[in-house]
Amino acid sequence: MSLIDALPSPALRRRSWHPNSVLLCLSGVMLASAWLFSLVSVAPNRIVTGTSFGIVDAIGWPGAALISMLFMAIAALATVPSQGHYRAILGIIMLTLLLMPFGLMVAGHWLVDASMPQARLGIGAAYWTVLFVLLLCLVELRLRLGLSRWWPTLILSAIGAVWWGCAALWLGNLALVQEFQARDTQFYQAVKQHIALVSIAVGVSVVLGLLLAMLMRRYQRLQKVAFALLNFLQTIPSLALFGLLLAPLAWLGANVPMLAALGISGIGNAPALIALIAYSLLPMVRNTYIALEEVSVETLQAAKAMGMRTGQRFWQVRFPLALPVLLEGVRITAVQAVGLTAVAALIGAGGLGTFIFQGLGQAAMDMVLLGALPILILALMVDAGLGALADALRPGGQE
Amino acid sequence: MIELSHVSKRFGDETAVDDITLRVAKGKFCALVGTSGCGKSTTLRMINRLIEHSSGDIILDGQSIEQYDPVKLRRRIGYVIQSTGLFPHWNVARNIGLVPRLLKWPATEITARVEELMGVLGLPVGEFAHKYPHQLSGGQAQRVGVARALAADPDILLMDEPFGALDPITREKLQDELAKLQSRLHKTVVFVTHDMDEALRLADHLVVMRDGRIVQQGSPLALLQQPADPFVDSLLGGLERGLKQAALTRVKDHMTSLGPTLPAQSRIPTDFSLRQALSMMLRDHCDRLTVVDQNDMPIGELSLRRIVKEAQLDKVSQRDA
Amino acid sequence: MTPNANVGSVTNVPNTQWLLPFGWALLLLISIMGMPLLESVFRWVEPDARQVIYSRAAFYELLGRHVLVVGVAAVVTITAGVLAGIAVTRERGRDFLPLVGQLASLGQTFPPVAVLALAVPVLGFGTLPIIVALMLYGLLPIVRNTLAGINDVDATIKEAAQAMGMTPWQVLRHVELPLAAPVILAGVRTSVTINIATAALGATVGASNLGDPIIAGIVNGNMAYVLQGALLIALLALSVDSAFNVYQQRLRRRLSAF
Repeated sequence: MSLIDALPSPALRRRSWHPNSVLLCLSGVMLASAWLFSLVSVAPNRIVTGTSFGIVDAIGWPGAALISMLFMAIAALATVPSQGHYRAILGIIMLTLLLMPFGLMVAGHWLVDASMPQARLGIGAAYWTVLFVLLLCLVELRLRLGLSRWWPTLILSAIGAVWWGCAALWLGNLALVQEFQARDTQFYQAVKQHIALVSIAVGVSVVLGLLLAMLMRRYQRLQKVAFALLNFLQTIPSLALFGLLLAPLAWLGANVPMLAALGISGIGNAPALIALIAYSLLPMVRNTYIALEEVSVETLQAAKAMGMRTGQRFWQVRFPLALPVLLEGVRITAVQAVGLTAVAALIGAGGLGTFIFQGLGQAAMDMVLLGALPILILALMVDAGLGALADALRPGGQE
Repeated sequence: MIELSHVSKRFGDETAVDDITLRVAKGKFCALVGTSGCGKSTTLRMINRLIEHSSGDIILDGQSIEQYDPVKLRRRIGYVIQSTGLFPHWNVARNIGLVPRLLKWPATEITARVEELMGVLGLPVGEFAHKYPHQLSGGQAQRVGVARALAADPDILLMDEPFGALDPITREKLQDELAKLQSRLHKTVVFVTHDMDEALRLADHLVVMRDGRIVQQGSPLALLQQPADPFVDSLLGGLERGLKQAALTRVKDHMTSLGPTLPAQSRIPTDFSLRQALSMMLRDHCDRLTVVDQNDMPIGELSLRRIVKEAQLDKVSQRDA
Repeated sequence: MTPNANVGSVTNVPNTQWLLPFGWALLLLISIMGMPLLESVFRWVEPDARQVIYSRAAFYELLGRHVLVVGVAAVVTITAGVLAGIAVTRERGRDFLPLVGQLASLGQTFPPVAVLALAVPVLGFGTLPIIVALMLYGLLPIVRNTLAGINDVDATIKEAAQAMGMTPWQVLRHVELPLAAPVILAGVRTSVTINIATAALGATVGASNLGDPIIAGIVNGNMAYVLQGALLIALLALSVDSAFNVYQQRLRRRLSAF
C-alpha cells in the first residue's frame, strides 16, 4: 500500500482536466468481453461440457442493450472526470453488480429446460471477466475518491448478501448452486475445518515465533542457524514437504501405539499441521525479529534514561512499537496458511481443498469452483481484516 | 546570458512563481535567496526545463529556451544539487565523465577531462577515481558533484543549495573554493540558497524572493545599505547588517596614508575586510590600526572615525544615485 | 559496469559461494541417475508394495518437463512483468500505476492453488493451463517488485540524471533499472520459487512432472513414490533458489551503497 501513498496527488497533474484513461480502458474491456465471450453455458448434467451462449441469446436484446449502455455511461463519465462523476460511476458499478444475478435468472429461465432436473446453467467467461474488471474499477474509484479500505469491503459484503439471497431463492439451476446444495453439510464442515487448521497453525506459530525471536535476540548464534533452517524449509515446495512428512509419520503411527492413539498417522491432520507450522514459522519469526530489532535505539535509550526497568522497557516501549510490524507478519502468515491448507487436502487433512482435488479428479469444474472461490474469499478476508487491525494498532493512528 | 521576463509557474491553482523578471549577465554570479517554499528552486529548474514555465519568456543567449531541445539544452548547462544526486552505482570517475559521455566525446578525451577536473577540485585521481559515492564524505561528494557539472565545460552553471547539507567548516571551505574557481572560469552562475551569508559572500547579484515574487534585487552592497522592506532587512540580519556590510568591504578602500602621529600598535593586512578590522579594534581596545602590505611593511592607517563616517557617505551617495 | 568497477574497497566475491547451488544441482542429478540403485532403501520403506521405484516416466523426463514449464512461464512473466512495471512508471502510463500497484499487492493474497484450480475450467487439463496459471500468478511479484524498485530510486538521482541531459530512455537504462535490479531480482526469485511449487501441483490437473510421483504415491498409498517425488522437487527448488541467492548477493554487494 505504501507504493500508492508515495504517488503525487492528482492535484499536481500538469493539466487540471484530463480523461481518466484507466476507467475508459476498463469499460472498453468490459464492453468487448460482454459481446465477444460466452455469457453462460447450459449442460444437461454435471460432467458434460455445456453449450455456450452469447449475450443476446442469454438475456435478449433489451438486456444486452441495458448492459452496454451502463458500460458506455461509465466511459462517458470517465471522459470528464470529477468527484461527482466518480460517485456516479460508483453507483453504476454497484447497480451492475446487483443486476448480474438477475441476468443469470433470466438466462436460466430461457435456456434451461425445466423438465430436466439435472440440467444446469454455467457461468461463462464474459461473466467472470466483467466481474473481475468491475472489481478493478472499484479499486480505481477507491483511490480516486480517497475512500478508506472499509468502503469496498462494506459494498462488496452488501452485494455478496444480495447474491447469496438470489442464489438461495431463485438460482436453483445454477451449476455452482447445485453443487453446493448437493453437499452443503460437507461444505460447512470443510469451511470449519479449513478455518480450524489455519487458526491452529497460525496460533502455534505466533507463540513459537515470538519465543524463537526472543531467544534469537539473546543468542546471536541461534539466529543464524534458525534463519538458515527456516529459509531452507520455506524453499521446499509445499507438496514435497507434505510428501516428505507422510512417510515418517506413517511409520511412527504404525510402530508407536501411543502416538497412534494421539491421532498421528501418515495421512490426515498431523503431517498437515506440522508442515503448516513449519511454513508459517519463517514469516512469523522474521517479522517478529525485525519488528523487535527495528525499534529505534534513541527511544529505548530515552526509556532507560527515564529509569524504566528491563521488563518495563520491553512491555511498555519495545513491544507496542513493534506490534504493527509483528501483526504484518501474522497477516502474511495467515494468508499463506489459507492457501497451503488447500494443498493439505491432498494428504487427507480436509478443508476446502478437498473440493478442488475431488472436482479435478471427477472433471467436475463447478465443484472445483466450490472449493477455489471460498478459499480466495477467505484469503482476501483474512488479508483485509488483519491489515485493518495492524493499521488500527499503529501508534499515532494510520500512516 | 540568462534573461527571465515576466515568468510565472502555476501548479493547478497554486502559483509557485509569480511574474519574475531577472537578468544574469555573462560571467556573473547571481544568488536567489529566500525562505523555503518561496519559489527559488522552481525558478532555477525552469531554466534547464526540469519544470516548464507557465507564462513569460526565458531567453538563453538570445534564444528562447522553448526553441532548444530540452535534452540538448541540459547538456550545455551544469547542474549541482544539495544531495549531489551522484549515481551510487558508478564510481567517481564515471560520475564526472557522464555528460561528456552523453555528448559522445572520445574516451581518451573524457579520461583527460575527468583527471583535469579532479585536479582542479582537489580530488587526487589515484585515491578517488575508483571510489563509489557512499565511500565519500559530504564535502568530497559535493566536489564530485561540482566536477560533474563542469565536465563538459558549460557556460552556465545552476546550483541548488549545493552546500546546504554540509557542516559549517566544510561549507566555508567549499564556498572559498567556488569563489576562486569562479574568478578563474567566469561561468554564468545561478545559485539558490537560504543562507544569506553564503549569498553575500559569493554573489555579484542578489535576488531576494518571497511567496514566488522578487522582493528586491541588486548588488549585495546595495541591498545591505538599502533593504526594500523589513523582510529583506531581517533576512540581511537586521542589526547585524552593518557588520555584514563591513565584511564585504576591504581595508584598502578605507585606509589613509600614514599620518604624522605615531603608528598604531595593531597591524592589519590590506586585503582583510573592514569587519575583521573592527573586530581587531574591539579586541585590542584601540580605534586606529596600522595597515601593512604583504611584506608586513606599514603602508597606511585605518581609523574607527573614518570607517563610521564613510559608511554614512556610502549611504548618502547610494540615495543620490 | 566498467571493467575496473570493483577496484577499491568493493572486495572481490570469492567464487566458493557458487559451491552451494552447484552442490544441490549435483545432488539432484545424482538422485535422478541413481534412484533405481536405491531400490533396497525404498523397499525397506514399502516392504509390501509390488514396485517401489516410480516408473511411469523416467525421472529425467519428469525433471525436464518441470523445468520446461517453469522456464517458459518465467521467461514470459519476467518479460511481461518488467515491461508492465516500466510502462506504468513512465509519464504516459502513470495513470495506471495506482491500479496496477494495488492489483499486484492484492494478487499476493490469492493462493496459488486457487489460481491453478480456477485456470482449469477456463483452459482445460494438461500442460497449457499450468503454464498459464504459473504466468498469471508469477507475474504479480515481478510487477510489484519492479514498481517498488523503480519507485524507490531516489528522486534526486533521477532528477540529476535528467538535469545532466539524459534522455528518458537513458535514465531508465543507466539509472533506474540498474538501481532497481536487486529488488526486481528478488521478485523474480519469489516468482520462480512459487512457480516450482505450484507446477508440482499441476500433476493434479494432468501435467506430468515431478509432482506426479507424489500424487501417484498418495493415490496408491505408496510412500516410496511420494518420497522420490518430494526429494527431487525439494532438490530442484533448493538448487534454483540458492543460485538466485548467490546472484542476488553479488548484485547487492556491487550496489552496497545503500
